[in-house]
Amino acid sequence: MAESKDIDRNGVQIGVYVCHCGTNIAGTVDVKALTEYAATLPGVTMARNYKYVCSTPGQELIKRDIHELGLNRIVVAACSPCLHEKTFRNVVAEAGLNPYYFQMVNIREHDSWVHTDKRAATEKGKDLIRAAVRRVRLHKPLERKRVSINPAVLIVGGGIAGIHAALTMANAGKHVYLVERDATIGGHMAMFDKTFPTLDCAACILTPKMTAVKSHHNITLWTLSEVTQVDGYVGNYQVTIKHKPRYVIEDACVGCMECIDACVYKQAKVPDEFNMYLGKRKPIYIPFPQAVPQVVVIDRESCIEFKSGKCKKTCVEVCADRKAIDFKQQETTETIEVGTIILATGFFTFDAKRVPYYGYGIYPNVYTGLEVERLINAAGPTNGEVILRDGRKPQRVAIVHCVGSRDENTNRYCSRVCCMYSLKLAHLIKEKTEAEVFNFYIDMRTPGKGFEEFYNRVADEGTHFVRGRVADIYPNPGDGGRLLVCAEDTLMSTVRKIPVDMVVLSTGLEPQADAQDVRRRFHITCSTEGFFLERHPKLAPVNTFTDGVFLAGCCQGPKDIPDTVAQAGAAAAEALALIDIGYIEQEPNTAHVLEEVCSGCKTCIPLCPYQAISFAENKKKAEINEVLCKGCGTCVASCPSGSVQQNLFEDEQIFAEIEGLLAYA
Amino acid sequence: MGTASHNIATQSKTLPCEMTLENLTEFPEGRRVLTCIQCGTCAGTCPYGELMQYPPRRIIGMLRAGELEKVFTSDSLLECVACYACTAKCPRGIDLTGVLLPLIKEQVLLHLPVMPAELQKALENKLRYGNPMGESPRKRAAWVKTAGVPVRILSEDPRPAEVLWYVECYTSYHPRGQDNARATARLLHALGIDFAILGNEEKCAGECGRLSWERGLYNTLMEYNMLVFAKYQFKMIVTSCPHAYDAFRYRYPIVGFNYRISPVPPFFAQYLPQLKSILKRNLNYTVTYHDSCCLGRHNNLYEEPRALLRAIPGVKLVEMVHNRVNTICCGGGGGGMWLDTYYKTKGIERLSERRVKEAIATGADVLAVACPYEVSRFEDALKVLGHEKKMIVRDITELLAEAIEV
Ligand SMILES: Cc1cc2nc3c(=O)[nH]c(=O)nc-3n(C[C@H](O)[C@H](O)[C@H](O)COP(=O)(O)OP(=O)(O)OC[C@H]3O[C@@H](n4cnc5c(N)ncnc54)[C@H](O)[C@@H]3O)c2cc1C
Ligand code: SF4
Ligand code: SF4
Ligand code: SF4
Ligand code: SF4
Repeated sequence: MAESKDIDRNGVQIGVYVCHCGTNIAGTVDVKALTEYAATLPGVTMARNYKYVCSTPGQELIKRDIHELGLNRIVVAACSPCLHEKTFRNVVAEAGLNPYYFQMVNIREHDSWVHTDKRAATEKGKDLIRAAVRRVRLHKPLERKRVSINPAVLIVGGGIAGIHAALTMANAGKHVYLVERDATIGGHMAMFDKTFPTLDCAACILTPKMTAVKSHHNITLWTLSEVTQVDGYVGNYQVTIKHKPRYVIEDACVGCMECIDACVYKQAKVPDEFNMYLGKRKPIYIPFPQAVPQVVVIDRESCIEFKSGKCKKTCVEVCADRKAIDFKQQETTETIEVGTIILATGFFTFDAKRVPYYGYGIYPNVYTGLEVERLINAAGPTNGEVILRDGRKPQRVAIVHCVGSRDENTNRYCSRVCCMYSLKLAHLIKEKTEAEVFNFYIDMRTPGKGFEEFYNRVADEGTHFVRGRVADIYPNPGDGGRLLVCAEDTLMSTVRKIPVDMVVLSTGLEPQADAQDVRRRFHITCSTEGFFLERHPKLAPVNTFTDGVFLAGCCQGPKDIPDTVAQAGAAAAEALALIDIGYIEQEPNTAHVLEEVCSGCKTCIPLCPYQAISFAENKKKAEINEVLCKGCGTCVASCPSGSVQQNLFEDEQIFAEIEGLLAYA
Repeated sequence: MGTASHNIATQSKTLPCEMTLENLTEFPEGRRVLTCIQCGTCAGTCPYGELMQYPPRRIIGMLRAGELEKVFTSDSLLECVACYACTAKCPRGIDLTGVLLPLIKEQVLLHLPVMPAELQKALENKLRYGNPMGESPRKRAAWVKTAGVPVRILSEDPRPAEVLWYVECYTSYHPRGQDNARATARLLHALGIDFAILGNEEKCAGECGRLSWERGLYNTLMEYNMLVFAKYQFKMIVTSCPHAYDAFRYRYPIVGFNYRISPVPPFFAQYLPQLKSILKRNLNYTVTYHDSCCLGRHNNLYEEPRALLRAIPGVKLVEMVHNRVNTICCGGGGGGMWLDTYYKTKGIERLSERRVKEAIATGADVLAVACPYEVSRFEDALKVLGHEKKMIVRDITELLAEAIEV
């Protein structure tokens, strides 16, 4: 039964615009039938269909109708509101109406793209339009609120991503708080000797940036620090930061490192984290020569003073008047206010023990790529010599690609950088040792600028390439500790067992072990692999679903340094764009408490995921902070007395929409 | 040593029996072959990968190219011992051993001009006598008289039992298998477990028939055993044979099997506290444990057998180079048990010999096993290699039983 067409008593005049979206919609839904149907609905003054309603002529059409026909409610039946709700609200506003006198109907994602039966899809389109027409007449004019934005930015993680973003923001005149949990900034890049594909010396290109961070007047650098709590909302975040004790006063230490020589430990005895435990350090140490800040740190686990309280403290003696060493330092916390946040917490390398048949942790001559990076590094544990644990120079080396990547048993994704770093290691090992090098790969992935050329160069140098995933690594009986690397050479269809002195496992990139905790702290989400999730994989790659929180570098997924730096720049630009407008417009679809009805039961208060509800003791009623409310609707649904209402989702409006859907035409 | 956990997904699901090569891709498990990246891990890890003309990677390549016929007419897949190594390591999670290879093997056997005699005989024996050796079914429970403890046979005393112990063929008939049977009976008795066996009513569960793909035989055995189970009341089945365990766990559910089921080692591992109080005798052995393919790679039961061995006073456990997920098959699986002569005529190294060399290299004096195929295979291999003085082979149950006898 068609509803009878009458003139709306309240003078509501609705315009309905059905979009073809080329053939995206028109191919499956009869748009002409929809238009004709819409024209029959009560309150509808004009119904049209158009090839691309979002195009400029499409928009003009709506504006003209509003002016000429006196329309005062607009319904557009097209794609997802995620894409074009903003566009059409602007159109309505430009024509002089309140932008919320608008309702969008999704007949693409919810209809034409998910159905094949044209007749049924058309009927569904009618139902959806009818629901929108019924609801839009009850829309009320709403206003967007503006809140000011704090221009300071927090950057978490001081790898190349965090460093680059920090310098970009600081150069643009914004104050940056850079929080790094280790004793130095630099991240993984600081561990490498050379970087692919150009073989730039990593330190030569990285350390100038690290020093610039330290000396920049707009950057506050906190190492040995971590974020423990984040409150507030975009533009106005309150962030609590924990500073772990260094036992050295940063401002007093001049980085002379005399204390290290003076330490009662004559020999370095503590396995050195920065060198992947391949070298030793003292209890008082600096992670690497160019560390920033150039300040020593004391490890309380190995320092005798902490263990027994009876050390001669020769370090303190030699530090003398500078008085930089302070065994009594305590953990401190402080709270800062920032408007935007960039997360640049990087990655973790895959634990090779999880592929037990590669023998890592069992056979001493099986190394990870990162370990070999340290062996090659001139400042590393062997001063840049590639030698085995027993001091021998390897004559034959196997490099195993895809360890902990592209494998249903570990990680399904490709880690993107390991083919290239495997090639880099092949080149560097050959250069340093003249060893025969075998790269075992499944597919050689060299898609970046200059990458394929680098592959060509390494092949030309005589590296052997075996196309096959390594199946087993074990000692070659009676071959003086050599390991057999076993794989099918799939291009030759033969199984090869190649004896080598050294195996390098090119382990993949994984999310940081605490990525889930960090995600929760910053109210963002992770993808299934555990990397932080961007808002849109193509169109919003550095945004998150939380406004004002951006991503840069490997915390969002494996990538190389060029991509990391590009992304860090993009994250900085997004943050700057927000800051430079100076204010943030908030969606008005917030919830509010009808005070006369609220019984003060407090049910809603703990449920709000954004802590937007408080209890007004004087009135004994719940109160919602409009600025904090994200319009999720949880409280609305939870209130036993129905006293919470939400703009754009008032009961009346939702019921009208449901009735519209269910009223068979 | 190498105890890092490896979350390999080798445990097969119960598979529909109507799956064939033609409709393979209609099943999710079969469809996975389309995702093969031709990485060669399967060929590289296969114990016979060097010899096979068509290792799993190439079979998938031929399948996708529509050239399987060539694979059927080569006998290369007879070298597959259904060891699950390829399945365990395949980066695409393709269940080669459980799904694809048996279907191929069936075709290979059908295309053979003559079946290898030994295998032919074993399969016929299973059908006629319910055991591959061709022993009399009436003598299946003969070992009970020598058990030294009472062993209840359900056909004689059909009262409900807590545990139905499914002894299986080699454990019932082979002289060294019977040692295992007697040891198990003593352990069950010592732990005060209410158990019974099917005696002469028991027949082979049929797993190796299936893996070397003899569908008809397998179905006959399955139906028979289900009818026998239905006659009695028991709370669970414990079996001495990992192959029978596989059959019950992954195949029998199609015909309605839903009893609780456990292989012997994890069953006894549940009783570790009680066992420890009776394991009194110091054995003073250095033991290396061989992970059987079914128990280990296919069912991830790596730690239970080791826990039992560690509970024995005076046992020092050492590991072979290839252990746990990386174990090397004894060569008995997938019909390999009855292809030794065939391999020999083709000049192929026996896997039991390869394995025993690794065991000897550990310096251990006992090679501990948990699958009834292995005792005779490894003892024979030790003899052939002239190592029989250096090392003895014992089922875990034999060692446990030895340690409770004071
Ligand atoms: C072996 C190897 C070799 C490579 N070689 C090259 C190469 O030659 N060329 C190339 O382009 N790429 C190479 N890469 C890739 C390169 O390492 C990455 O692209 C780059 O390091 C990513 O930088 P990032 O800042 O995102 O992360 P990271 O370098 O991981 O830095 C993250 C930083 O954040 C800190 N952090 C983490 N969590 C927190 C927290 N909760 N709070 C505070 N701080 C935190 C960490 O301490 C660290 O300092 C290689 C990778 C590997 C594994
Ligand atoms: S980049 Fe290369 S080595 Fe790394 S996971 Fe991808 S294919 Fe494997
Ligand atoms: S609508 Fe959601 S965000 Fe807003 S106050 Fe209620 S629960 Fe909090
Ligand atoms: S291991 Fe798996 S993915 Fe690799 S070739 Fe074999 S079947 Fe294919
Ligand atoms: S199951 Fe074992 S023997 Fe058979 S193909 Fe796979 S690895 Fe080879």
